[in-house]
Amino acid sequence: MAPKYKLTYFPIKGLAEPIRFLFSYGGIEFEDFRFSQEDWPKFKPNTPFGQTPILEVDGKVIHQSTTICRYVARQVGLAGADDWEAVQIDAVVDTITDFRSKIQNYFYDSDPVSKEKKKGSLFKETIPFYLPKFEELVKNNGGYFVNGKLTWADVYFVGYLDYLNFMAGVNLLEKYPTLRSLCTTVLELPGIKEWVAKRPVTPN
Amino acid sequence: MHKRPWSPGAISAVSRFVLRQWRHSRLAYSVEEHHCSACTMAPKYKLTYFNTRGLGEPIRYMLAYGDIDYEDIRISFEEWPKLKADSPYGLMPFIEINGKVINQSTSICRYFAKQLDLAGKDEFEALQIDATADTIADLRHTIGDYWWRSEEKDKPKKREILVNETIPKYLSRFEKQVQDNNGYFVNGKLSYADLYLAANVEYLSAVMKSNILDGYPNLKALVEKVDNIPKIKAWINKRPQSYY
Repeated sequence: MAPKYKLTYFPIKGLAEPIRFLFSYGGIEFEDFRFSQEDWPKFKPNTPFGQTPILEVDGKVIHQSTTICRYVARQVGLAGADDWEAVQIDAVVDTITDFRSKIQNYFYDSDPVSKEKKKGSLFKETIPFYLPKFEELVKNNGGYFVNGKLTWADVYFVGYLDYLNFMAGVNLLEKYPTLRSLCTTVLELPGIKEWVAKRPVTPN
Repeated sequence: MHKRPWSPGAISAVSRFVLRQWRHSRLAYSVEEHHCSACTMAPKYKLTYFNTRGLGEPIRYMLAYGDIDYEDIRISFEEWPKLKADSPYGLMPFIEINGKVINQSTSICRYFAKQLDLAGKDEFEALQIDATADTIADLRHTIGDYWWRSEEKDKPKKREILVNETIPKYLSRFEKQVQDNNGYFVNGKLSYADLYLAANVEYLSAVMKSNILDGYPNLKALVEKVDNIPKIKAWINKRPQSYY
């Protein structure tokens, strides 16, 4: 019998959206539980390391969003045909995570002076470093991140995009047509298309 | 270099192809000389990192545990800027597997763990092991932020938060996890999460300038267990010394 899944997160797309995309792509039912900001202190002690998203699998609690994505990806056939393909996908995903972390590091800085400094290096160095590399990677791989076919690296990237754009305050893919095209492809996938149409609307 | 009995200039391209096929079937090559990807030889691995433990050591632990031959290339801090542009995303460690280069140390560990039966017996176990390794990596990243990526003036405050809040938050939960799992991180048996912690401890202790596992007896016992696995113990005894 299929396990019962409950995903718990803030009422935003954020780090959970790639997980929601993957469940939707696979047609896997899951409870999409969102607690309010005010309720977070109540839920925090019940999480493994004080962080969300968490996924309950038949009541057993797992944390670490990327790892949860990999678990769901394996079940929906998007984690690579063998170990070598899997590690290539993992490496791309980790690099997207690095990129995301750097943007988060800037966005969540509460010191205005430090934040302004980080903004400079984000826009002058980090973004111009990663996005052209991603663009080239997808161009050289037949329109996908790995081996010319859809994998969870593609869903992961597109699942994050609204959150990344929100934090950066710009449309990050404006100058990157291949990545925009990948975005369209993923958003049109059956399952994901329906999810996007019905999900709660949030800016981030 | 393949040995050639006659001048290559005298042979047509077709003949050269035929000759190559003949050589593969007839002549013996050492592993070092054989470059043909058509034959199934064991993969050749080249790991590149600084001459430190740091992010490279978990990979070295995996390779030692599996008795897997590899070239352990160590780059000095002075050499690194010149090589950076040619590395994946300007980062180390990276590993060359049959000529193809991959980075991201935790994913590389997972790749080898699958081959060594250390990545869980099913998807859920794999999930639990991955989540543990990721969380150890989170702790390492936070400690690394303090040491390598902060302004000097911010360091004392950041260190205080690490020592009084962050490290205890992570290690006390890890301690309980190992206690609840019969001395290992997941399901009472060895997985790459255990090797991952053991391989990181000395580096983290070097950065924090104290043994970070003081006060966590179950974690200490786990690390000792891993470090005493014969292949790992042999690696520890012969590896180059470094502060980090």
